[in-house]
Amino acid sequence: MNLGQGTCPRVPRVLAMKRVVGHESWDKGPVPVSQVSKDERKVIMKYEVVIGLEVHVELLTKCKLFCSCPNRFVSEPNLNTCPVCLGFPGTMPQLSREALNQALKASLALNCEVALYSYFDRKNYFYPDMPKGYQISQYYIPLGSRGHLEIDDDQGKLKKIGVGRVHMEEDAGKLIHETTGGIAIDSSMVDYNRAGVPLIEIVSEPDLRSSGEAKRYLEKLKSMMQYAGVSDCKMEEGSLRCDANVSLRMPEDEAYGVKTELKNMNSFRAVERSLDHEIKRQAELLDQGEKVITQTLRWDEDKQQTIVMRSKLEADDYRCFADPELVPIELTAQEVENARQNLPEMADERARRFVKDYGLPGYDAGVLTSSRCLADYFESCLQLFNKPKEVSNWVMGEFSARLNNAGLEADQASFTPEDMAELLKMIDKQEISGKIAKEVLEKAFQSGKKPRRVVEEEGLLQISDQSELEAIVDRVISENPDTVENYRGGKSKALGHLVGQVMKETRGKANPQLVNELLVKKIDG
Amino acid sequence: MELRKTSIHQAVEAVQQGEITAFELIEKTLKNCSVLDEGLNIFNSIAGIDALEQAKAIDQKNEKGGNLPLAGIPVAVKDDLCYGVLPTSLGSAAFNEFMSPVTAAAVERLMDAGAVVIGKTNLDDMGQGSTTLSSPGGPTVNPWQAERTAGSAGAAAVATGICMFALESDSGGAQRQGASHCGVVGLRPTTGRVSRYGLNTHCSSFARVGITAFSCENIAGVLDILSGFDERDAATAVCREGITEISKIPNSDKLTIGYPVNAFDFLEPELREVFEKARDEFAERGYKIAEIDLGLLREGLQAYYVIALIEASSNHARFDGIRFGKTGESEILEEMYQHSRAEILGKEARRRSIFGTYLLSKGNYDQYYRQALKVWKMVRQEFKKAFDQCDLLMLPAAKKLPRLLNEEYSFLDEYFEDLFCAPVSLSGMPALTVPAGQVNQLPVGMQLVGPPFSEKTLLALGSWDTGTGPLSQE
Amino acid sequence: MDDISKGLEKAIKVIKIKVSSSEQEQLQRELKEFLTWLEPMLLVDTGQTEQQFFGHDAVNVLRDDHPRQSELAELQEAAPKFAGGFYLVPKILE
Repeated sequence: MNLGQGTCPRVPRVLAMKRVVGHESWDKGPVPVSQVSKDERKVIMKYEVVIGLEVHVELLTKCKLFCSCPNRFVSEPNLNTCPVCLGFPGTMPQLSREALNQALKASLALNCEVALYSYFDRKNYFYPDMPKGYQISQYYIPLGSRGHLEIDDDQGKLKKIGVGRVHMEEDAGKLIHETTGGIAIDSSMVDYNRAGVPLIEIVSEPDLRSSGEAKRYLEKLKSMMQYAGVSDCKMEEGSLRCDANVSLRMPEDEAYGVKTELKNMNSFRAVERSLDHEIKRQAELLDQGEKVITQTLRWDEDKQQTIVMRSKLEADDYRCFADPELVPIELTAQEVENARQNLPEMADERARRFVKDYGLPGYDAGVLTSSRCLADYFESCLQLFNKPKEVSNWVMGEFSARLNNAGLEADQASFTPEDMAELLKMIDKQEISGKIAKEVLEKAFQSGKKPRRVVEEEGLLQISDQSELEAIVDRVISENPDTVENYRGGKSKALGHLVGQVMKETRGKANPQLVNELLVKKIDG
Repeated sequence: MELRKTSIHQAVEAVQQGEITAFELIEKTLKNCSVLDEGLNIFNSIAGIDALEQAKAIDQKNEKGGNLPLAGIPVAVKDDLCYGVLPTSLGSAAFNEFMSPVTAAAVERLMDAGAVVIGKTNLDDMGQGSTTLSSPGGPTVNPWQAERTAGSAGAAAVATGICMFALESDSGGAQRQGASHCGVVGLRPTTGRVSRYGLNTHCSSFARVGITAFSCENIAGVLDILSGFDERDAATAVCREGITEISKIPNSDKLTIGYPVNAFDFLEPELREVFEKARDEFAERGYKIAEIDLGLLREGLQAYYVIALIEASSNHARFDGIRFGKTGESEILEEMYQHSRAEILGKEARRRSIFGTYLLSKGNYDQYYRQALKVWKMVRQEFKKAFDQCDLLMLPAAKKLPRLLNEEYSFLDEYFEDLFCAPVSLSGMPALTVPAGQVNQLPVGMQLVGPPFSEKTLLALGSWDTGTGPLSQE
Repeated sequence: MDDISKGLEKAIKVIKIKVSSSEQEQLQRELKEFLTWLEPMLLVDTGQTEQQFFGHDAVNVLRDDHPRQSELAELQEAAPKFAGGFYLVPKILE
């Protein structure tokens, strides 16, 4: 439940410590499930892996949690600060209504029981990024508790993962230890822009049994928080941060083994890799008859290994007590129920609707709704071009592939739903072939140009002019007498070869259906 | 115009009718101030030109027919209340030059009403104490007897007639004991009545912004201006829909005064006599006297100190030498913290932060903190129950006469002085300290405590015998 | 060292205040006196009484979500060490 370990790659002029800056996207393509060899796997298989995740999510609000400073990223340090979030003498915190609403939504989306009475506590510790010498958090009574979400386990079966608690707290500022280019400076520098930004901490039960489950849990959590409109959950920007507790035990054991805490996992891939790394390390220790010791480890993305941050001799004592400057939160059962009714549609629900309303296969619906952005994109396209399966094919296929390569979310792409609809309409009107369309999408995606402009500039309009095509067809027939014979001899595949030749001659622009018809007519005729 | 003999109402009328300008009033006050402050050590800073400028501005508004309810009235403000124009020392030598970006809500309201802050008054180390003896700038001297402490500098400012009222803070009883020691009137209002935004407090649960003045009438006028909801202090939400005063006219036939017999057993005989006389006088005037039981005064005081020290250890954690105050020179973070904090917090503040940390630590939490929170609740229930039997109750304000400046005493002796005030702080109820009599030519004050929002009743009853001050004896 | 003295030493470390050894000795004595002084309160039979957490009776005081930028100059002038837009602290070695 520590703070201030998150990341933000958009640090100007200076580099942030502890932040491994990477533009990896979690779904960039196939990632090896683990970097563990077969023999090593055998060692690990002996043990049961127990993982619990502590996830911090930045809430989407206009203001900070306890003051009116803007809650938005700015590059100028200490711009979004005021006497309250800097802890000036005499100031007192004032709770944001919107942050409470967002936390309530998150709790309900995660199927939590909502505390009708809760309040804020102070978690006392010193660090320069913590202006008051304490963090305001909900320690004794979390807003949400005993929730769950569902993921596929490693066998593909649906599995419930417990969400122990969801509570509100304020974020810490940021410490910077070197200037751009790694130039050392005499002091460390503190930027309090992030101090007081509203967070929720979501603590899972130790129900996860593999790195894959952990990754899927995190993906599911992200999707749910995005669907609920609670957070944008951008891991690379630090609006979603994850720490993990890992331990191993013999499958027959009831007690958990000694756990270590993993921090600084700045991407979904890093979560999976660092967990694999740590599981392997613990398994090897245990196998050699050694003990795992309670430690906090930091994942080093460059070196692909963990580094010990500190070994805990005794548990931290944060001396938590109710913050006397804030007032309790009381909710009625009716208010909670209303909030539940007003929850936005979640992924599963949306997927079911996609199947029912658009006649999509379950697989398509699942992929499209895996991210709220993508599902929104799909539905925006559909508004403009109402052929669900075709839109689905293109959004799931070519478009998603481009996104993954660029490490973008659907709403960040310059290729808008309008562009997609325009492209699909061109295919539909047989102005371009599907193959050409892929090329157009690629170019439009890269350049930000409209698809039609790409087609015009590159002269990619489909040739549907019969006389123009006839000449080429005649030439192909005369140049490939053997193939023509084969076709006449009953080898229908031969026709495909001939069509291919025509397409090659026209650089793919020929209307394939027309070419087909012309060839058949000429040869058979 | 003799400020001590004039009511705020009369003075404002005089200013509004042009009998005296705000400028003249403030100029006179400042002159008085510099003369009297010399020997008494009342002020940490004096406004001077700023105050005169403000007075000028008020005169201009006045000419345009501005109807400011405190036009030109000089006020002294305790130095834990932030005020952007003068340094706010908080009771720390490291903050002597600290210009706060915040002005306390209560100060803002007073200024909007036309009051002029003439200076910031002395206080204990980080506001922790009821004597000013731990002040980094030395104690404030009692205007009645120069070898004794005033208890509160704001009370001394009022008693000497420097200003017509003072804005103070009170957690365990500093303001109430100061009023008692200086023979003036001090009101600690009901929880949530006056915004505390801008008050640097060691103890958020019990700190209140209070008013000290020469008469109940003066307090009543100022209280109206200070009362009300302020988004920046969540506790004031109880006033969001307005204030429902428990306003009984202190008609002797109807009013019952509670007399907690056991409380007076803690007093030396000559002090006890003052209160017995006061009780008898109430009875003579026809008030009913009900003997009531407040059995948890001592335990309440102890619970207060557990909670206050725990909160202080957390409230004062922000003094880390990074964003304000002074920083301790060191190239090692840990040392920078230790040096900064040792420099900012004086001896008493250090003691309280360290003990508070001890009390809240794992293993001690249940024994001390949890128990203190339960005793707190019991004290609240005890006071609530008392008001089933009476309309308001009388208590001493201080356990002893004001302390001699050169007297040896332990920190526990000083904590014990809050015996009658701290439990009232736990109760959350309003308390008015009024002069009750004298012992050895020193004033002795009495607390009148009522149920929430009974300030008007307390003030009406408190007017019974005020108006004696040290200088009026001359 | 007895438990109270150990606890005191830990508290001094945790709350990050430099105290001289003579002050620490004095605090040790005083803490013991203080804890003894508290005993009557510890002996109160609190029965089923719940803890009182707040000195006020307000609930649900919530601020609307209207952002506001603050005046920075006077805030930053109060800082003992401030440069290039940042608050400075001794170098923290990771």
